[in-house]
Amino acid sequence: MAAESMQDIKRRIRSIGSTEHITNAMKLVSAGKLRKAKAIFERTNENSHYITNAIEELFTNGKDIPEQYLSSEDKFVDRTCYVIITSSKGLCGGFNSNVIKEAERQMMLLGGDSVIFAIGSKGKEYFEKRGYNIFNDYMAPPEEITPREAREIGEPIIDLYNKGEIGRIVMVSTEFVSTMEQRVRTKVLLPFDVEMNPEVGTSKFIEYEPSVEEVFNYLVPKYVEMMIYSAVVESATCEHAARRTAMENATDNAREILGELSLYYNRARQAAITDEIIEIVAGSEAQG
Amino acid sequence: MANTVRLEIVTPAKSFYRGDVELVIARTLSGDEGYMAGHTWGCKLLDIGELWIREAGAEPNVYKLASVGGGFIDIKDTIIIYTDSIEWSKEIDVARAEEEQAKMEEWLRENEATAPDYLVARAKNQIKKSINRKAVAAGGRMNMKNN
Repeated sequence: MAAESMQDIKRRIRSIGSTEHITNAMKLVSAGKLRKAKAIFERTNENSHYITNAIEELFTNGKDIPEQYLSSEDKFVDRTCYVIITSSKGLCGGFNSNVIKEAERQMMLLGGDSVIFAIGSKGKEYFEKRGYNIFNDYMAPPEEITPREAREIGEPIIDLYNKGEIGRIVMVSTEFVSTMEQRVRTKVLLPFDVEMNPEVGTSKFIEYEPSVEEVFNYLVPKYVEMMIYSAVVESATCEHAARRTAMENATDNAREILGELSLYYNRARQAAITDEIIEIVAGSEAQG
Repeated sequence: MANTVRLEIVTPAKSFYRGDVELVIARTLSGDEGYMAGHTWGCKLLDIGELWIREAGAEPNVYKLASVGGGFIDIKDTIIIYTDSIEWSKEIDVARAEEEQAKMEEWLRENEATAPDYLVARAKNQIKKSINRKAVAAGGRMNMKNN
């Protein structure tokens, strides 16, 4: 019996040992990818903040914005487009499920109809299985997204909005706080809520050329594209950070179990030896 | 020395230029316009065209020249230019611009009648950009020294 359990334990040690190898390797890979993604993220973050801040500032100026981009009670379309940014790969802890949970919460909160633009296959699969209306998706690896691809994502959404088929664009993504902490963030891209910052509205005259409408018709899609672009880059960074943490935990767990198992193994071995000695002693006593 | 104003040029991927300048000349949809410190606040769309920058302390008539592929300019206490594509005239690969133009023209010849409008418009835009890049690489239309 002792020999059998020794073999069992040995088998488990081997299997957990190879798991530990894999998770450790994945951790190292994620750490490398994280470093790369973080460099891109920091660079684009600085830039895109420039653009989005400049645009947001114009929006908070309020009085010049064409009506269609402002929230108004009377012609509101109760249909929301959710841009949900998840990853296309698993094994990253709660990264995807956190985003999905938050998206579902928002849907409950806001009510009405919803269409989904899924970025990353995990979110798409989840909502597809549950019969949600998925209007489009983007499946390529998020860290390689280019501004042009962001435009291709943004354009059809803006199109829907301008045609009045959706009344709201909400983006659910993950915010990068630090390598150890990521937070889910929900942002309403359109319409703008100008009342949020009434004090920013300056009385300075601003020249728009060729016309206010044209400037905003150019800026609003740009804004949405930039927000999506930077969110996707940020989400990629978070994904690698989350995976790194998850893999680190898995490696630690595996090592802990390995320690325990080798203790059991030694005990079993000791027990087997003791058994043998008892047998020998009993045998020699019987002879003598 | 003239008053200077801070100019920032950003593209989606990077910050292209940041510095104090005396004068910026950009092509808006309604024509070339120059901006100096203290300009009226404005927000204007840029056409495909040339961008001339006279940096703070530069010799008179010495400018930096770049080709811009459309965008917008936000004029406040600082001037921010946001564009999808911008290149210094010296860094323009003329052969590539030539090649792209030829490719697009060929595509137009074959597909103009059948392709959807937005693709045709995009191709025409591309050709315009290539022509502009070549013109900028050759020194631009304005008779100023490019540094």
